[in-house]
Amino acid sequence: MEAVIQVQDLVKTYDGLNAVDHLTLDVDQGTIFSLLGPNGAGKTTTVEILEGLRSPTSGTARVLGHDVRTEYGDIRARVGTLPQDFEPFDRLTPLEAVRYWGSLFNRNVSQEDARRLLAQVSLSERSKVQGLRLSGGEKRKLGIAMSLVGEPEVVFLDEPTTGLDPKARRDLWTLIRRLRSEGRTVLLTTHYLDEAEQLADEVLIMHRGKALARGPPEELVSQSGLLTTIVMRGAGPEGLGELTRRGIPAEMEPDGDVLVRVANPNEMRLVLAKLASIQVPLKDMYTKRGTLEDVFLKLIGAKMEEGVLQE
Amino acid sequence: MNKILADAISFGRQYLRSKVGAFFTFIFPILLVLLFGAVFTQTGSSSMNLPVQDRDGTPMSQAFLSALNNTTVVKVAMIPADVTIQEYVRANSLSVALEIPDGFEVEVFASLASNGTTHANVTLYGDPSQSSFGLAMGVVSAVADQMSFGIAGASPLIVPIQSPVVSERFGAMDYLLPGIIGMTVMFNTLYIMAAICAEYRTRKYFKLLATTTLKKSEWLAAKILWFTLSMILSLVATLVVGILAWNVQIRFDLLTIAFIVAGSVLFASLGMIIGSFAKDSESASALSNAIGFPMMFLAGTFWQLELMPEYLQAIAKVMPLYYLSDGLRDTLVYGNLNAALLNLGVVSGLAVVLYAVGAKVMSWKER
Repeated sequence: MEAVIQVQDLVKTYDGLNAVDHLTLDVDQGTIFSLLGPNGAGKTTTVEILEGLRSPTSGTARVLGHDVRTEYGDIRARVGTLPQDFEPFDRLTPLEAVRYWGSLFNRNVSQEDARRLLAQVSLSERSKVQGLRLSGGEKRKLGIAMSLVGEPEVVFLDEPTTGLDPKARRDLWTLIRRLRSEGRTVLLTTHYLDEAEQLADEVLIMHRGKALARGPPEELVSQSGLLTTIVMRGAGPEGLGELTRRGIPAEMEPDGDVLVRVANPNEMRLVLAKLASIQVPLKDMYTKRGTLEDVFLKLIGAKMEEGVLQE
Repeated sequence: MNKILADAISFGRQYLRSKVGAFFTFIFPILLVLLFGAVFTQTGSSSMNLPVQDRDGTPMSQAFLSALNNTTVVKVAMIPADVTIQEYVRANSLSVALEIPDGFEVEVFASLASNGTTHANVTLYGDPSQSSFGLAMGVVSAVADQMSFGIAGASPLIVPIQSPVVSERFGAMDYLLPGIIGMTVMFNTLYIMAAICAEYRTRKYFKLLATTTLKKSEWLAAKILWFTLSMILSLVATLVVGILAWNVQIRFDLLTIAFIVAGSVLFASLGMIIGSFAKDSESASALSNAIGFPMMFLAGTFWQLELMPEYLQAIAKVMPLYYLSDGLRDTLVYGNLNAALLNLGVVSGLAVVLYAVGAKVMSWKER
């Protein structure tokens, strides 16, 4: 598959600090690639370099085969962008804004085309309301519609679902998947772990400008040895002791739950058989698939809520 | 659709929806024309009261007072003959008062008999630093001269005659209107452009626009296109109101349009420079005020430069609005092509320089 975004040893320095620290990545055509990390990880700086809005300190970045420093004029019309700090024009309606934006990509967007695009982001009912009267979520939807108006081959979506309600989020996920099915490439930055896990073909976890891990979500989970966990709720010290005696590695949570991690799916049946023979009082027993959240926690050592590390 | 045109239409739509923009483009100049017209064309009674104490009370002193009234420049108001005039002036805070002394008529005839070797005097009391004192002095002197010639049976040797350079059909509003138009161009382009640039930077619209195929030069051209079109519409609206309300009769030609275009580019570029350095829209407005207000009052918009002290005249002549207003006056009122072209050259030259500087200092890119 052809890489439409290529980044090699990219560095962006502000006041002596590396906001992006020797980052290397490539994104294949027709895939969804997610930059995942807390606020300040360097995601937006990376994306803005790829959008041609900032100049890198060193390293190379190419989009659609063109150097972002010098050749962006050649590809601007082939790239769609939703900036993190997107604000619509106060006194234009979504219908007017989409048509206006289309003209800035040399496209004559008809009223009908604009309506169709707004329907895709569930903004039809508000298509004639001035921008300053839109809610935060509606503004994001308008931004997404504007980013797609030029029929781009590559779409940069920087925190697209921030401020959206759960339904709008899922609608947007559907839209992003459709972009991929149409052969477009999506580079998505997010601090929502579930969003990256649900959407991305490949994830790059960033922290303090550096890439900590990269790969498909399920691969990242399996590589971290966190593929599946058997949870024995309420097994307590007695359960832990019994498992240890039988040579099954386990750990106990502060609330008394005992966890048995199964890194290799082939071992699952064997481990379950062993556990079935143990007679300790339990409240419940179930398996939990490892998630990106577990990977993130393992890599960074802290949970993340709304982009903020809970250290 | 052409990107410049699309951006100009989109900007214009937003501009007109913002009531402030529509007010300053169309309503404000019309209000100014109506207000200034009311002040300068409906002059009402223009005569100044001249308090007079007639201590003589003779036919000669009465004739002198009648002659003063007949000038229509002053209107005689009598002071009782039994008060001390200096005290009366102080007590009533008068800037000027005239005393015709007792024996005035006798002295006039004595002067006539002596063939001018003696004189009959009248005295003006008051504050010589006040313009009303100077005006009264001029009127009283002129009336005294005319009466002297009349009594002596002589004719003045030198008589001024009026020969207006401008057709008599022009009135005060005809002179004021170009200033109002120039000021409207400055207000709308300088203030709005400064605020827009600051707002576009702080709200990241420039960053957003940088992700499109629109170039910075195209964005600037679109703004200038809009400002030029809106100023021409504003000019037409202002002239129509001036003609309907105050019967102004001025020339309107392509040179006027050229001044509007050059003025719009000049002040939009100046606004762009201010907006590029201002922290936010409020700072941009404050900076625009700091530059625009002195220019409005000093650049000959409302009164002639010659009425100001020389050092202020020198300052006015480094202000771009002076050349715009003066040039508009040259073309709209005087029909002086050479002077208008010279002013247009100055305005256009400044416009090119400021546009180049503005385009250089304004950045869409993030650091």
